[in-house]
Amino acid sequence: MTNDYGGIVVEGVARRFGTVQAIRDIDFEAPPGEVTALIGPNGSGKTTLMLILASLLAPDLGTVRVAGFDPVSHPAEVRSRVGWMPDTLGVWDSLTSLEVLKTLGALYGMSAADSARRAEELLVSVNLTEFGRQPARVLSRGQQQRLSLARALIHDPAVLLLDEPASGLDPGSRVELRSLLRSLAADGKTVVVSSHVLSELDEIADRAVFVSRGQSVKSQTLDEAGSQTRRYYVQAEPMSALAEALQSYGVRFETRGDSRREEFLVQLGSTAEASWLLRTLVMSDVIVTAFAPAGGALEETYMSLDTDRR
Amino acid sequence: MSTVTEPSSPQPVRTVALPFRSAVRTIFVLEMKQRLRGKGWYWMLGIWFVVIGFIFVLGTGVIGTMDNQGGILFDLIVGFVLLFGLLVAPGLSANAVNGDRAGGTLAILQVTLITPGQLLAGKWLASWVGSLAFLVLSCPFIFWALALGGVNLPEALVSLVMLAVELGVACAIGVGVSSLATRPLFSIVSTYMLVALLAVGTVIVFGLSTLLVMEERTVRSSYYTYPESSIDGLGVPAPDAEMECVAQTYTTDLPDTQYITWILAANPFVVVADAVPYTLPEPGSTGGQPMGYSTGPFYTPGVMETISQGVRSAQAGPDLEVTCEESMGGMQPLPQGVPIWPLGLGIQLLLAGGLLLIGRRRLTMPARRLTQGTRIA
Repeated sequence: MTNDYGGIVVEGVARRFGTVQAIRDIDFEAPPGEVTALIGPNGSGKTTLMLILASLLAPDLGTVRVAGFDPVSHPAEVRSRVGWMPDTLGVWDSLTSLEVLKTLGALYGMSAADSARRAEELLVSVNLTEFGRQPARVLSRGQQQRLSLARALIHDPAVLLLDEPASGLDPGSRVELRSLLRSLAADGKTVVVSSHVLSELDEIADRAVFVSRGQSVKSQTLDEAGSQTRRYYVQAEPMSALAEALQSYGVRFETRGDSRREEFLVQLGSTAEASWLLRTLVMSDVIVTAFAPAGGALEETYMSLDTDRR
Repeated sequence: MSTVTEPSSPQPVRTVALPFRSAVRTIFVLEMKQRLRGKGWYWMLGIWFVVIGFIFVLGTGVIGTMDNQGGILFDLIVGFVLLFGLLVAPGLSANAVNGDRAGGTLAILQVTLITPGQLLAGKWLASWVGSLAFLVLSCPFIFWALALGGVNLPEALVSLVMLAVELGVACAIGVGVSSLATRPLFSIVSTYMLVALLAVGTVIVFGLSTLLVMEERTVRSSYYTYPESSIDGLGVPAPDAEMECVAQTYTTDLPDTQYITWILAANPFVVVADAVPYTLPEPGSTGGQPMGYSTGPFYTPGVMETISQGVRSAQAGPDLEVTCEESMGGMQPLPQGVPIWPLGLGIQLLLAGGLLLIGRRRLTMPARRLTQGTRIA
């Protein structure tokens, strides 16, 4: 991997805060033109890694390259190429959305005309045009989240770091966020998204890196995640017929307990196997009323990693 | 993954530094917009105006009949503006940085191209201009006092300039502390403590230190009195008797204050008072002659000028030879010997600059070490 690769390359990074080892050993790679998801339970080191990538924290160990530069030795080079949306909402209460964006533009060295034009464009793309001249304190949480995204994009960064971007967004805004991130990736930007909402990442991300207790435990593309062993839930009318049919074909199943209705969970190796089972059940005159993956592809990986969630 | 274990960074292709002035201006405008749109600052200005006005009217009433009315009133206003300014400036500056950190906006600024030095300079400038507004608001009273006469232009100008400088120093201390302390409340209190250390602490230390420089001294004190021979049995001097100068010698403990006056130097009041070129009355025009109370106006200094005189007499040390002229003349204005304010201002700038330098290092990202309890974002 060479320097002109761009994107993000992290190897063997560790960071400790006093006695707390926030990150033990993380390898992470986010290629340009793709959306990379950073997935892990609370306190697994996601935000710490984001801070290191955003050139706010120096790692104790390991090498980091963001857009080809080391954030420790070339922070300004990294900052001019990175847009960072923190998981906390930092709001200048009395400033209008436009003023916030123009101020940040000026701090990235943009001319007044450039940043004003860019600010207007971004307000359109995050759907905040009518709030452009309102003080930021009147914005709702979701609107502030969108303003925060616009702020991260003001200098047209090649690398975008989004820490929990979807939290507080209504369903409509989530769909817009998704299409915005996809179009940014299509433009060749490197996009990193950390989130807990795995079903959402399924639709946004091209690849995912799983971290747990400060370690990167798995890295896979969504295609890989989709072709792995997954659990499907099946419902039929009556359930006894379904149980009989499954037993006769030698398919192991368990009764799912955490749902309102009774349903069976079956472990299937691939989509081909799933379509075979569905066809077989229907042909055997079992009245199947529901047949669907139990969770998203990433959720399957997440659960299968069996990381402790405290 | 990678086959190259230690990728070398490409050379920077463009300069990514912000011009200092525009970066500072951006931060300054950001701060001022927030201040001007808040209510707190206007409330403080309003209260300030009322209090200064009250003091001024009260002062006019009390000293209305005295000589040097304009000078004393002007001095009073300068003293009060300094006192109140030292109370206001920490409030305006001491949460500049950690307030942003608490609000989550500091990290957003830190990921931009702005350097910690530019950030601190902008924050300092904004808090200084904010506290200068209090000085500007006092102008009606300052001009009123000047209109009463008795204050010459250099005295007025230097007083106002030194006031502005002292407010700037207090703001710099505040901004410096706010970049070091985690919590806004803690940094505001710490800044008040530091300002109090300068304004009150120096006086206390000076007072206590006089005990260390006590020396037993022989003082020759002279005074006018009627000769023994001219006083009758009832103790009344003869009507045609002439007063004569009599000297008395005694030993007593006196502090050699000239060795410890430097302790007072960093006091903001001393810095202002010592820098101002007060017009002293001509030597001999006040008293100086036997029974000379009626010749010439009394020398009545204002608050700040009294401080200036106090410092000069401390610099001069104990008077071991009190002449008859001195004993008759009442308070004699002392001319300036070695100015002490450059030393004081130097100490203050060293303190404020040191705090800002440490603060700048603390704000430099990426951070290797974090203070306990600090969250970056």
